[in-house]
Amino acid sequence: MKKAFVSTLSALAAVTALAVAATGTAGGSPTAAKSPSVTDTTQITCGRTRTIGIAAPVTGPAASIGSQQARWARYWVTRWNRAHTRVKFRAVVGDTQLPDTAQAIQVAERLSSNRQVLGVVGPAGSQEVQVSTATFKSGGLAFVSGSATRTSLTTDGTRRGFFFRVVPNDDQQGPRVANYIRQNLRHTRVAVVDAQNSYSTGLSDTVQRILRAGGVTVQRESVNEADTTDFSSLAARIPANTQSVYIPWQLAPKAQLFGQALRAQGKRAVLFGSDGLFDPDSFRIPGSFVSFFPIDLKSGIIAAYRRGPGRGKSELFGLPSYQAAAVVGEAIDRSCRNGSATRAEVRRQINATNIPKRKSLLGFNVRFVQNPRGVLGRGDMETPANFGIYQINARGVYVRVS
Amino acid sequence: MGLPLAFNVELFTQLLVNGITLGSLYALIALGYSLVYGILKLLNFAHGDVYMIGAFAGYAALSLLGGPLSPNIALAPLIILMFLAAMIASGLLGVVIERFAYRPLRDAPRIAPLISALGVSFFLQNSALLLFGAQFRSYDSFVLGSKNPEFFEPGPLTDPLFVVKNVNIQLIQVIVLSTTVGLMVALTLLVAKTQLGKAMRATSYDREAAAMMGIDTDRVIASTFFIGSLLAGAAGVMFGLLFSQVFHFMGFLAGLKGFTAAVVGGIGSIPGAMLGGLLVGLAEAFAGGYLGGRWSDLTVFGILILVLLVRPSGLLGTPAIKKV
Repeated sequence: MKKAFVSTLSALAAVTALAVAATGTAGGSPTAAKSPSVTDTTQITCGRTRTIGIAAPVTGPAASIGSQQARWARYWVTRWNRAHTRVKFRAVVGDTQLPDTAQAIQVAERLSSNRQVLGVVGPAGSQEVQVSTATFKSGGLAFVSGSATRTSLTTDGTRRGFFFRVVPNDDQQGPRVANYIRQNLRHTRVAVVDAQNSYSTGLSDTVQRILRAGGVTVQRESVNEADTTDFSSLAARIPANTQSVYIPWQLAPKAQLFGQALRAQGKRAVLFGSDGLFDPDSFRIPGSFVSFFPIDLKSGIIAAYRRGPGRGKSELFGLPSYQAAAVVGEAIDRSCRNGSATRAEVRRQINATNIPKRKSLLGFNVRFVQNPRGVLGRGDMETPANFGIYQINARGVYVRVS
Repeated sequence: MGLPLAFNVELFTQLLVNGITLGSLYALIALGYSLVYGILKLLNFAHGDVYMIGAFAGYAALSLLGGPLSPNIALAPLIILMFLAAMIASGLLGVVIERFAYRPLRDAPRIAPLISALGVSFFLQNSALLLFGAQFRSYDSFVLGSKNPEFFEPGPLTDPLFVVKNVNIQLIQVIVLSTTVGLMVALTLLVAKTQLGKAMRATSYDREAAAMMGIDTDRVIASTFFIGSLLAGAAGVMFGLLFSQVFHFMGFLAGLKGFTAAVVGGIGSIPGAMLGGLLVGLAEAFAGGYLGGRWSDLTVFGILILVLLVRPSGLLGTPAIKKV
């Protein structure tokens, strides 16, 4: 039996090695990025149907959030096509399979080499943005993310004019939350639990730094939200006298589980989630707080989404991707006014975006920073620092409190 | 990383309870690996996904019976029906997998069925993604049976049943542990005392000789897959009741942990699967509780490597007798 078992394990190791090697070959394609098939000055005939690329993790461990993003982005296309008879849009979706960054590169290559694609919504993760930048740049494509929040993505200067995002960076959202915990809730014992990804650790670091500077006692914890299903050990680590737990996670159902584990152990600490947890369908622990865009929850578009592609759910984590699709789509439409466009024109038009508040689903007007300052780089939005703070009431309803 | 916490009885007890509950789940999954390996010498890497399908079958039963917030029948029969649906669905799925993915490769080189198993795993995962979508589906077990679910009032499954050293013990934890022990005893009796069990042991010992003695080895192997998958289905429902959420990717890591439990306990051994499951569950809970979340998986798979190095046949496994 031992011999058989050892030989089986050896076979398994061989298969794994082959798989890893194959992945490495497929994903490690920096050379491909240096030899673009499309340059950003190539004139593309727009025709009646224009194409938007969508890069999102629609399968794999992050599929639950990636599919929301893809659905919301496609929903913009659907609404546009319904409202316009002459000009139509088509979406091409690339599955980035977060956290497998090799897939993100492949998707960037596919979208870049598709001559019809004039702009891209996504990718979702900051790490995906980092690895796919060279490919998008060499293809001349603008990419507008609805969830990549690492501050340096816009401030390090390497993606200027190519990368945009319709979500605030970590240094905008973090201070708002930290100040609310310290000044409004007046909590002095706080736990910060990062989810071991770049979105979460960035926000956690910012909040922890500000809280500590304000004299708050902070206990730092860490958990892999994607892989963890049993949060009871983490809950056991939170002392009973902790007043609030900040969880900048992206999977609302997992935050719900963590909240339940805390309650099951008789702990009353208030949960404080980031925008990634703004999901009234899944995260409903009464008394918890969530920071999010000052959106109008009664908006007709959200209601229509619930009735349509959301199949009864609002899936609000994906909502910024709708706005990202609007940014890309409208820029393409403006670039195509004379019948043809280049990717460079689309990038310029995206940079010049100005969607008024009444047309923006995010609750404020969408314009990109022209004069970098402080934590804002080119590609960031001008106004999202005015984040809303929502509290979940006893019936699980989100009520804006600040 | 969180700091190691000072020892206190309450934390220790809490982690012990968590570890035993989690370990019970791993033990049930490990049994499926052990049974199949014992009889076919095959690592059935699709087993974790059979467990996932079981969890979804339980969810389907729950939904058909009115859903978690307003079930049409009382809690006890509801849970029994969920278990039955999941166990039957998973059991049948196991038989189908064996028939179409493994039986044609029974005499092929060892690597062929292994690759087939990985293929089946991906097939099931992505089929679930297509069928059920990527969203998490919730058993809502925290409020299941609650009088005021809309106010997030705990139901009988999660309301504290009794308290030990200031630690709440929930009914669902008792159900998980007792069901696991019950299924384990039933399986042990089946293997030791029944005609089918005797046939399974004979097939495991020497398939060709068993066939020559008139045993229908195909039927025995199919039965083994049915039983192993049935246990995985039960584990799937327990998971849903314990942790509420089921999703298409849940079988991957649970399958790996179940496999680790089987190897640590001694693959092919029923008590070994139970012991391995509990060890893995306790290691995960204590590492997560005392050292922080980043240490949980590191510890579990560290134990796997250690056991393979020191005692490759596992803690309760029997070393192979080599003909010289």
